[in-house]
Amino acid sequence: MTDIALDTRGSRQHPPPGLEGARLKSGTLRSWIADAPAAYLLLLPVLVLFAFAVVYPLVQTVVMSFWDIKGLGRPKFTGLGNYVTLANDLNFRRAIVTTLLWTVCTTALSVGAGWAIALLCALAPRATLVPRVFIFAAFGVSEAVTGYMWLGIFRPDAGGLLNSILSAIGAGNLSHPWLGDTNTALWCLIVAASWAQTGLPLLLIFAATQAIPRNIIEAAYVDGASHFDMMRYIIAPMSMPGVRVALFINLLSSLRAFDTIYILTAGGPVRSTETIGYFMYRESFTQFKLGYGAAATLVLLVAVLVISLPAIIQRTAGAQ
Amino acid sequence: MSLKEILVVSKWTRRAALVGVSAAAMLLSAGASMAADVSGDLVLLNWASGSEEDMIKALETGFMKAHPGVNFKEINLAVSGDQRGAIRAALQSGEKADLFVDTWPAFRKELVDAGMLRDLSPLWDSAKLGDNLSQSWKDLGSLDGKLYGITYTFGDRSALFYKTETMKKAGIDKQPATWDDFLADFKKLNDAKVVPIAVGAKVWSHTEWFESIYEHLNGVDKAADLAAHKIPWTDDSVKNALKKWAELIKANCCGDANTMLAMDWDNASDAVFKAGTHGYQLIGMWNANIAQEQDGLKQGGDFSIVQFPAMGAGHDDVSSVDSKEFSAFSSGANPAAADTFLAWITTADAANIIAKAGLASPSNKVDTSLYGPVQSVAVDAVNKSKVQFVLGDLLPGDLVDEYRVQLQKFLQDPSDANIDAVAQAIEAKAAASY
Repeated sequence: MTDIALDTRGSRQHPPPGLEGARLKSGTLRSWIADAPAAYLLLLPVLVLFAFAVVYPLVQTVVMSFWDIKGLGRPKFTGLGNYVTLANDLNFRRAIVTTLLWTVCTTALSVGAGWAIALLCALAPRATLVPRVFIFAAFGVSEAVTGYMWLGIFRPDAGGLLNSILSAIGAGNLSHPWLGDTNTALWCLIVAASWAQTGLPLLLIFAATQAIPRNIIEAAYVDGASHFDMMRYIIAPMSMPGVRVALFINLLSSLRAFDTIYILTAGGPVRSTETIGYFMYRESFTQFKLGYGAAATLVLLVAVLVISLPAIIQRTAGAQ
Repeated sequence: MSLKEILVVSKWTRRAALVGVSAAAMLLSAGASMAADVSGDLVLLNWASGSEEDMIKALETGFMKAHPGVNFKEINLAVSGDQRGAIRAALQSGEKADLFVDTWPAFRKELVDAGMLRDLSPLWDSAKLGDNLSQSWKDLGSLDGKLYGITYTFGDRSALFYKTETMKKAGIDKQPATWDDFLADFKKLNDAKVVPIAVGAKVWSHTEWFESIYEHLNGVDKAADLAAHKIPWTDDSVKNALKKWAELIKANCCGDANTMLAMDWDNASDAVFKAGTHGYQLIGMWNANIAQEQDGLKQGGDFSIVQFPAMGAGHDDVSSVDSKEFSAFSSGANPAAADTFLAWITTADAANIIAKAGLASPSNKVDTSLYGPVQSVAVDAVNKSKVQFVLGDLLPGDLVDEYRVQLQKFLQDPSDANIDAVAQAIEAKAAASY
């Protein structure tokens, strides 16, 4: 607390830059030494929970990835064998490509749609409350429920909503077994997952637009800005912090996708919708090749870390 | 002999004597427990759901009525998809049970290899199970000469389900007995705007067609050899079976491949029973319960079955079957009660509970009048046939997955060139799976 007072006092009195830096440095160090025990004590319950819920399973997964485990049989140590097999596994390579396509498309679609809707809502926040709530509600629906809902839409028979609508509007010739065609199945899944994920970007970006200072908006109107100018030069650029957070969250969520795929296509037809998440499930829980599945899990974890670590470091490095 | 050696020998002698005495005591106590009534908790690792679960509950109630000292407990696994994953996870996490239901011979082998199942051969002899079950059911539950599962129900997997009204609509009065009759009926069905066969190829049920065709062309012995990889998947027998299936596809049996790949077996069932857009479905006997309970159809009247048509290759006396068995864990805490239950499920009391639930019992003590008309046809067909267990449940996990996916590829392109590619791809996986 003393150090904070010192820093504050220093900033008020505007001391020479060199002196301020040295004082801050020594103050920060002393503060760290004095506060560390209390800080770690406060963090302890969370750290214990984290160790049990995250660190222990993670270490187990790493250990498991070096073993050849088939069903209930005796595990055999295989070193990097599982990783070598993964590298040569055509199904895994295909799953990586599918995951990339899936992640890029669902993120772009969900964040793009959320952004567009948020900007429109920002022009009339009160009038758009109800549609905002409805769109966000989709985000609260479980992935499994979303999956079954879209399964009803894409069903190939007369009960499928999409094909029924096409028939009803006289476009029955466009009816299609959407989830059974390798050319359309993945795109159907992307639409379904994007629909479910649009709510969060909408909420985050809309919140960012509401944080834009009123005086900037009023000044722009006074200067004669039209709604379009306002959107293009004020609201859209100033909503970017919300867009960045939404991109980050949806990217990670897309990488880990499983439920929607499991329910809609079970990775098919002919493995055309199998992502790394689904591959991992299939190897671990239907083949029960736990070591191999663990290796695939760690590859996915590395991909998630590669994407998330720079963003996490960037956002936390400046924290005092 | 040194003192140390003497001590070691005497230690082993003592241990051997102790083991011998313990074994004798266990045998005596087992014999006594079979004779006297049993008691205590009997734990079942249960993954069944729906009407199957109801039937298991009825069996538990029936057994507890006969043996009031026993209290059935269940470890229920909420499972979606392949139940084996959940069973393995439960066992690896240390769940302790006396009994569980198995329907996968390949999984039984995995459990036996892991030392988890108890040899039930002594029980077969001591409880005289041979009086109630035929030798073929013992063989079906055995591995390397030892019995690990007591079959309590079985199903015909070479039965084609159909809805009577749909057949009337297509002008089919008599169900096809031969392959040629079957193909000839396709025209009538197509003319009536009915897709002749509903194939749900989203996950696994399309493989039923390959299996029944294969067995009818090559017999059950060759099918068993294929399951054990004694013959390769590139064998002509496999390619010929696929070519025969391609004949059906070329005769416009099943609609387009994409629709088949979009349908699971339950969608196919809906297409036959509910929508009436499709004529036949080749699937297990649980479909009869679905037709009755979910679609409100009356068996024998609204829907029925016909056995897979004769193909004239000298193997028309075959049926593909599935079965379910109770197995006993070697770590079970109450082996005496488990053995008493395993013997009881072959009795008339248990067999009749199973028959009343709409399933077939292998017990020769079952009151066959309890079977509905559809189940009677199926049981009769199986009893007259050489049987072969469903191939998909005999294959190792890695291979069965590839087998299903490659048969999806076959549906997309049933050409001879692709048949070769499909056979080679399955064989490549098989070569690494055994």
